[in-house]
Amino acid sequence: MATIESIQSAYIDYVLTKGEEPKSVYLFAKENEMTEEEFYRFFGSFEAVEQNIWADVAQKTVTEIKTQEVWPQYSSREKALSFFYSFFELLKSSRSFAVYSLRKHHRMLSHPRVLDSLKVIVENFADDIINQGLESGELADRKFFAKRYKDAFWAQFGFILNFWIDDNSTGFEKTDEAIEKGVNVTFDLFERSPLDNLFEYGKFLAKNGNFKQKMGV
Amino acid sequence: MSEIRKEQNSIPTSKVERSAKFVKTGFKIGGNYIKHYSKKLFNPDLDKTELNEDNATDIYDSLSELKGSALKVAQMLSMDKNLLPKAYTDKFAQSQYNAPPLSGPLIVQTFRKYFGKSPEQIYDKFNLKSNNAASIGQVHQAELNGKRLAVKIQYPGVGDSISSDLKLVKPFAFRLLGMSEKELDVYMKEVEERLLEETDYELEVRRSVEFSNACSVLNNIVFPEYYPELSSKRIITMSWIEGKHLREFLETNPSQELRNQIGQALWDFYNFQQHELRAVHADPHPGNFLITPEGKLGIIDFGCIKEMPEDFYEPFFGLTSTDILNDREETIKAFRELEMILPGDNEQQIDFFYRMYHQMITLFAKPYLSSTFDFGQTSYFEELYGFGERISKMPEFKQARGVKHFIYVNRTNFGLYNILHELKAEVKTDTYKPHFAADVI
Repeated sequence: MATIESIQSAYIDYVLTKGEEPKSVYLFAKENEMTEEEFYRFFGSFEAVEQNIWADVAQKTVTEIKTQEVWPQYSSREKALSFFYSFFELLKSSRSFAVYSLRKHHRMLSHPRVLDSLKVIVENFADDIINQGLESGELADRKFFAKRYKDAFWAQFGFILNFWIDDNSTGFEKTDEAIEKGVNVTFDLFERSPLDNLFEYGKFLAKNGNFKQKMGV
Repeated sequence: MSEIRKEQNSIPTSKVERSAKFVKTGFKIGGNYIKHYSKKLFNPDLDKTELNEDNATDIYDSLSELKGSALKVAQMLSMDKNLLPKAYTDKFAQSQYNAPPLSGPLIVQTFRKYFGKSPEQIYDKFNLKSNNAASIGQVHQAELNGKRLAVKIQYPGVGDSISSDLKLVKPFAFRLLGMSEKELDVYMKEVEERLLEETDYELEVRRSVEFSNACSVLNNIVFPEYYPELSSKRIITMSWIEGKHLREFLETNPSQELRNQIGQALWDFYNFQQHELRAVHADPHPGNFLITPEGKLGIIDFGCIKEMPEDFYEPFFGLTSTDILNDREETIKAFRELEMILPGDNEQQIDFFYRMYHQMITLFAKPYLSSTFDFGQTSYFEELYGFGERISKMPEFKQARGVKHFIYVNRTNFGLYNILHELKAEVKTDTYKPHFAADVI
């Protein structure tokens, strides 16, 4: 009896040994001794299988990091870091598939479609920790921009994923550095910075201080 | 170390970024000079202290942000008090204690990579906030089976960046030390070798065990216990030593007796290694020592070991501990072996360097001449620094002289002298004496 997991692993095995996706669902099902119907009970297409594999890794990551003892003590910044480190640690065991799946798609402006379901999970997670950060005051609540923070998080994710695909340092140490640096920079931007103060000051001067009269305007 | 420091948010690691950091420093120093000279226009009496202080702050700021090997260089420069103006050394001395820590998740990640487990699964307790920085790593407190542990974790990518870092530091070292390029190259290569060794934590654990066993005959010295099974390429686990750093210790106004005891332990530790083991813990900066409540000296870092080959040891210590110095011909022979006098030197140069090095070694060997020596006396150190300053201004000394082994051996011995001076300790200097293969000289 086929299950989600058995179809996933049969699919991974197929694409990695043959280097391409099966010609048809019929063929794939026959080779793995199931009916086409069984396949369609779980997935609508091969693309859906890939989407599901990616989403699984993200979901596992989120579940796993939340069980860590230190989790509640982490700031939003640290939660983000923890997510990235754990995600790539988990992904390491299916690196060949990850490389196959991403390289198959030509780099486009937006993300490849196989990452569609993963994106939802990552964005939900980002939303969560960003809202926590906004509530605790760790992150700056800026009009308009605060709503875009999660987009920045997603862009960061895409960048590091691409970095990791091309990383050939031992133990992917360079990816660790990319995460530590990149996430910290992003969160620095989310935090209250001197620019916010400067902006506030400008607003204050514009309203008060008879700025205009003094300048002779 | 209870105060919570702001964790550093960005560690520039690519060469471009690091260069940018140094360029920025360069601009700032340029600015400091402009500030200095424009002030001097109006006040001709102004001395360079303020300028040096401004420069030191800027250099320190950029070095501490760079971490890793650059910080190491800052520590090294701060050791050579005789080579640097006071303002630089005070500021650099800070780097011996404080550098901003790395994020908690990265620490967890490092453990999972090397042990497949998180620190909480390995230890009973593990403090994610680091206690202090160890220049290429940071130290955390942990507990296992009721024992307190110190866990040292190395920053990722340190080994990779050492070579490129040293190249970047070079122009600053030119300026600060006023050395010629050739001299600096010898220095840099030796430093690079030692620094790369320091990034190998597996080697460090092996050596630490070896050295602490070999030195166990010494009095008033304690070593941490090492746990090789809980150590890896980038992690070292050792037992925690309770104690104060030198500066904190001195703030408690310890008695002369206690200061002598610590000083003696330090002296014995170094001379035992030099003369019995012929290899020495070559990183005597105060951050590597702790003074325990029982008045013992704790030694916590064996990252940097300098081995002394026969062809260096024999001529060098022959000079300091026998009466060769009274014999001009024999002395010049030893100087030639040590490349302090070079084959191409003419009569005049031979005479000049003979006199200078003779004076230098006589000064250096002074503590060995009597059976006890008071390192508290400032006159000796003034003479020492004065001499260092004088020769650093002599054009003859711009050229590379002396075999490369001098770099670490000098650093070790001057570091030792400096610490003993700060302790104002009086020590018995005849405890471990040099001995030679052919003991008939």
